[in-house]
Amino acid sequence: MAVENRDPAVHLDRGFWLVTALLAVLSALAVYATIMWHPENMPQLPEAAIPADQVDQLFKFLTASAAVIFIYVVGYLVYFAIAFRVRASDPPDAVGVQIHDHHQLELWWTIIPTVFTIVLAIFSVKIWAGVQFASPNNGLVVEAIGHQWFDDFRYPGVHGIVTDEMHLPLGVPVTLHVTSSDVIHSFWLPSMRIKADMIPGMINTLRFTPTRAGTYPIICTEFCGTLHGTMNKQVVVIEPQANFDKWLAGWKGKNKNASDAIPVAGTGTVNLTGGDAAAGQKIFAQKCSACHAVGPFSQKIVGPGLKGVLHDPAHPKLVNGEAANPEDAAKILQKGYDGDMGHMPNASQNGISDKDIANLVAYLNSLK
Amino acid sequence: MAVAAAPTHGGGVADHIHPEPHSFIRRYIFSIDHKIIGIQYIVTAFLFMVMGGLLAELIRVQLMNHSGTFVKPDTFNELYSIHGSTMVWLVIIPLLTGGFGNFVFPLQIGARDVAFPWLNMLSFWIFPVAGLMLYSSFLMGAPVAGWTEYPPMSLLGGPGTSMWAAAIFLIGVSSTLTGINFLVTILKMRAPGMTFTRMPLFVWGQLATAPLLMIATTALGAALAALFIERQFGVPFFDPTRGGSPVLWQHMFWFYSHPAVYIMILPAFGMISEIFPTFARKPIFGYKMIAFSTVAIALLSFMVWAHHMFTSGMAPFLQLPFMILTMFIAIPTGIKIFSWVATLWGGKIHLTTSMMFAIGFIATFTFGGLTGVYLSAVPFDLHAHGTYFIVAHLHYVLVGGSLMAIFAGMYFWYPKMSGRIMNEFWGKVHFWLFFIGFNATFIPMHWLGLLGMPRRVAVYDPQFQFWNQFASISSFVMTAGILVFFINAIVSLRTGKKAGANPWGARTLEWQISSPPPYYNFKKVPAVLAAPYDFAEPLPYRGLEGELDPNVPAPVAAGH
Amino acid sequence: MAISVSQIPHGDPNVDQLYAETRDLRLNGFLLFMVSDLVLFSSIIFAYLYLRNSGQGWPPPGFSRLDVAFAAFNSVVLFGSGVTMHFALENWKHGNFIKFANWMVATIVLGAGFLSGQGYEYWTLYQKMHVSWSGSGIFGASFFTLTGMHGFHVFAGVIYLTVLLLQATNGKYTQHKHFGLTAGTLYWHFVDVIWVLLFSIFYLF
Ligand code: HEA
Ligand code: HEA
Ligand code: HEC
Ligand code: CUA
Ligand SMILES: [Cu+2]
Repeated sequence: MAVENRDPAVHLDRGFWLVTALLAVLSALAVYATIMWHPENMPQLPEAAIPADQVDQLFKFLTASAAVIFIYVVGYLVYFAIAFRVRASDPPDAVGVQIHDHHQLELWWTIIPTVFTIVLAIFSVKIWAGVQFASPNNGLVVEAIGHQWFDDFRYPGVHGIVTDEMHLPLGVPVTLHVTSSDVIHSFWLPSMRIKADMIPGMINTLRFTPTRAGTYPIICTEFCGTLHGTMNKQVVVIEPQANFDKWLAGWKGKNKNASDAIPVAGTGTVNLTGGDAAAGQKIFAQKCSACHAVGPFSQKIVGPGLKGVLHDPAHPKLVNGEAANPEDAAKILQKGYDGDMGHMPNASQNGISDKDIANLVAYLNSLK
Repeated sequence: MAVAAAPTHGGGVADHIHPEPHSFIRRYIFSIDHKIIGIQYIVTAFLFMVMGGLLAELIRVQLMNHSGTFVKPDTFNELYSIHGSTMVWLVIIPLLTGGFGNFVFPLQIGARDVAFPWLNMLSFWIFPVAGLMLYSSFLMGAPVAGWTEYPPMSLLGGPGTSMWAAAIFLIGVSSTLTGINFLVTILKMRAPGMTFTRMPLFVWGQLATAPLLMIATTALGAALAALFIERQFGVPFFDPTRGGSPVLWQHMFWFYSHPAVYIMILPAFGMISEIFPTFARKPIFGYKMIAFSTVAIALLSFMVWAHHMFTSGMAPFLQLPFMILTMFIAIPTGIKIFSWVATLWGGKIHLTTSMMFAIGFIATFTFGGLTGVYLSAVPFDLHAHGTYFIVAHLHYVLVGGSLMAIFAGMYFWYPKMSGRIMNEFWGKVHFWLFFIGFNATFIPMHWLGLLGMPRRVAVYDPQFQFWNQFASISSFVMTAGILVFFINAIVSLRTGKKAGANPWGARTLEWQISSPPPYYNFKKVPAVLAAPYDFAEPLPYRGLEGELDPNVPAPVAAGH
Repeated sequence: MAISVSQIPHGDPNVDQLYAETRDLRLNGFLLFMVSDLVLFSSIIFAYLYLRNSGQGWPPPGFSRLDVAFAAFNSVVLFGSGVTMHFALENWKHGNFIKFANWMVATIVLGAGFLSGQGYEYWTLYQKMHVSWSGSGIFGASFFTLTGMHGFHVFAGVIYLTVLLLQATNGKYTQHKHFGLTAGTLYWHFVDVIWVLLFSIFYLF
């Protein structure tokens, strides 16, 4: 190792301490500004629910500390770059102070960020717990179902789906389950600082308590196809309990006869292996023969005759336009179909299980 | 030490000098010389950068107006998907590993080439082919679901999505081969005396990156293959209606793509660690800590991927370890930042263009890193995920970080590559246009995101129009800066000042031989006696005396 | 002629220790290649375990467990080929070239035997249980993808070993310089190890 060439002339001089003081003042100002700033000052971001204020605290903590770190790093960076630039008077081969390291300094700038990170982690975990468990479990349970490119909602006691905006009573804890019927969407309530992805075949949960009456946007933040950018038209209306009850009663009336079957994709395809035609025949007699004859397509009761439905060359396609094969027939049994002839009920309306579907398809397949 | 008999095989035999090819094709097209391959990578990647940048500007033009009528929404989705894919896989990664990695580090460790020159050539040639494949997807309906291509959207996307998967898979193969090649080279082919603690820090950056290239990229390959198979043959992995899981893709993708972001920054860190001591005329401050933190970051990078998935509905308690480990990455990164700043203290700083970019890098990267720490805090991420805040973060670290370092590196090593210095005046014009344009483009995106603007949208709420226009116009300033850079780089090839061997007074090995270096790199493989950064000491190398002397004969190639 | 070591200055202890002039680094590269191949398998194994644990239970409704007995027999065939490969290389190193060739042939035959066993298993699955790659949900997808990938590795290995055998009989390798044979052996053991993994996650657990 080369001999250290420490230049005694260079030490932490007055300029350095002046700059340090200046940066301290700047940092203090930044911290002060951050503390004084309140999101309520911004019309777009009111704190409309219980975890929102906590998230904002975290944000302010992060911003205050990031500002201090940034001010010091960039302050010294720029100061050093200017103060230690070569001068015209320097010889061309002038070198800087030949120091390689300074163990104490390095120790400090490892320890301080570590301590800071631990503090930040603890603080974040605390807020995280606050957000996760912000509201008790026994609140109002609402479901939101994403579609390309809107959301539907389901409320306890209301049949079927609620298709306009989402309403929530003021001050009542909400447990919101979100899922999707097609691709991944995301359910963002910026005014409440919460978000969950709506994933087909999966249910994610948000818990919060609305604390401020008003109408706030619901925004989709996960790319979901052509019109993803327009999936922000829906709103959540926070209103006093009485108004909410009235709104809910309206939907109860309107949806009296709606089906409760959920049009949620991702329940899995029916597995057709091992379908038993004999068992299928029995179920067919109980559940299907009211509407379907075992005869040619034209022999219509409510729905078409099903003899040869999967083997009739004259009908290469099913009524819904899909191929006449067992898989696609199973889909019709699973999801139902509304076409020219009328309404073919879905599996839950017909009261058949996946196993039944497999058996039924095996039976249909055996009709030639 | 006995000399082994001359080997009979070309591949993988260290320091076996290949005969210098004389045909143009073998020399400049299908070259096996790491320096030529490095330059090929750099040129190709910059060409792709023009494409990716063009797409970015189209994005910005569309967003000038909130009702976005410039292109159709589906076209817009193609634009940013290919923009992101291009910039990540065809620009930054190839520049930092295949490009600067290839050109610089074998010289720095005193090797005559990489361990497997033929493999190196193969890695390079896969790259433009994959790039063209990616762009050909525009002809058949390019992917729309972003560079992350989450299913089920990516299962529904046009045929180009399969092309995308195939192209990225190929790029991955190329990266994996490069990683293997570099790792063996660094571990096995350092000049005598170059212990790990005498290795230049750029080499440390490459050493930490190579395993990431090897391991993470392979994992991505598996995910891409599965996506391709599912799209083409209907084999269910990700489709929820058939028992698959869309979240599985997210795990597989981010297990690669988080380490990938460090693939895009560790070599850049290495560059800064070369440029700072050179222009401050000071040893790098805290060499060991910088080297150690490089490795620490690489290791940690495999343990934090799920911070991209906080909203995807993983078990809540799993969020915590990912959050905390992510935060810990700030510590080794901070050690680097502080050490660089300390390197400036007491220096004799030459504010060349390269140095200005390096200093700018510290400022903007610190900013981007700090917003990364915001995002690692789960409750904040639950607000910011999927918004323009993410777009702001990623451009601060990728453009303000990786790309700035690449520019610094270009001004720094251009003389070594071409023998001429890039014009400093236009360099500074480039710096200021770029630096101001960049910050003005991406700063507003932070508050746009927080106030409610989601990313990947072709139309948006009118209230955000002002800041979007501001960003778009600023992005034209940044583009002008890059245009200046390109023109400067091309014109300086002919008119630049002659560089000589060592225009910057740098001390690593590549500067001790002529510019551009001869085919065989070193007449004698030098011996290394100390770390390279002691500016007040004589050079710590032995055996370089004859390098610049035309009377000392060049080594003779082994015949085949 | 390669540059000679005598041109390198001596004196520093590190200098002499670290540097050997012309070394064959192909083995290092090959080992790293196998590491990345292992990562490829691990990723898909991860995918399989992830899907397997995402509800439904395993095997999913409608499927029965795979036939352990036959697969165990087939595994023995594969592991046996690992043993014969080991003997082949050892014999080469000791200069017993004839024995080497015999053990190689045995390895190749056993490898091919494993492949036919797997083919038979695929065929029965398809015939009896209608399990197919794309039509049987994640069960078919993960099983055929992983075992297919492994089978492809075995297939490539059988070809590779055949080429090595031909090269060796044509005098490409010497008793002491036989990188190809070393790589082939390593590769073959690697394929065995992968099979241990696959066998346990598909048949045993
Ligand atoms: C890796 C690096 C990288 C780089 C360098 C850039 C560079 C730029 N990016 Fe990019 N960007 C990403 C990586 C990168 N980006 C990623 C990963 C995404 C996410 C994609 C996704 O959502 O899936 C993204 C997304 C993204 C978006 C969000 C899209 C959306 O969500 O809807 C925007 C919007 O403004 C944007 C803009 C820009 C701009 C203006 C630049 C500029 O800096 C570009 C400047 C460069 C040039 C312009 C080229 C050089 C110029 C010339 C040769 C002159 C001639 C050219 C013209 C006259 C036009 N980028
Ligand atoms: C070069 C690329 C790069 C780099 C280096 C980083 C660095 C970091 N990133 Fe970033 N990131 C991306 C590229 C990168 N990122 C991209 C492309 C995306 C978006 C992908 C997409 O969805 O399209 C993303 C997204 C992303 C997310 C997901 C957001 C979301 O989608 O919801 C998160 C969350 O944790 C994150 C965190 C971090 C952190 C903590 C770091 C840290 O490594 C930063 C460390 C640095 C510092 C902290 C600054 C210097 C340190 C100091 C001065 C010390 C003192 C400071 C402290 C103690 C705090 N990033
Ligand atoms: C309430 C009456 C009703 C019941 C009960 C009913 N279906 Fe249907 N089904 C229909 C109607 C109506 C259609 C045609 C829909 C159309 O095209 O408009 C139909 C269509 C079908 C089709 C598609 C036929 C084709 O040619 O594409 C199949 C298969 C089918 N039903 C099977 C069944 C089975 C199996 C059951 C018993 C579990 C069943 N249906 C019970 C009314 C019914
Ligand atoms: Cu729904 Cu985006
Ligand atoms: Cu990440």
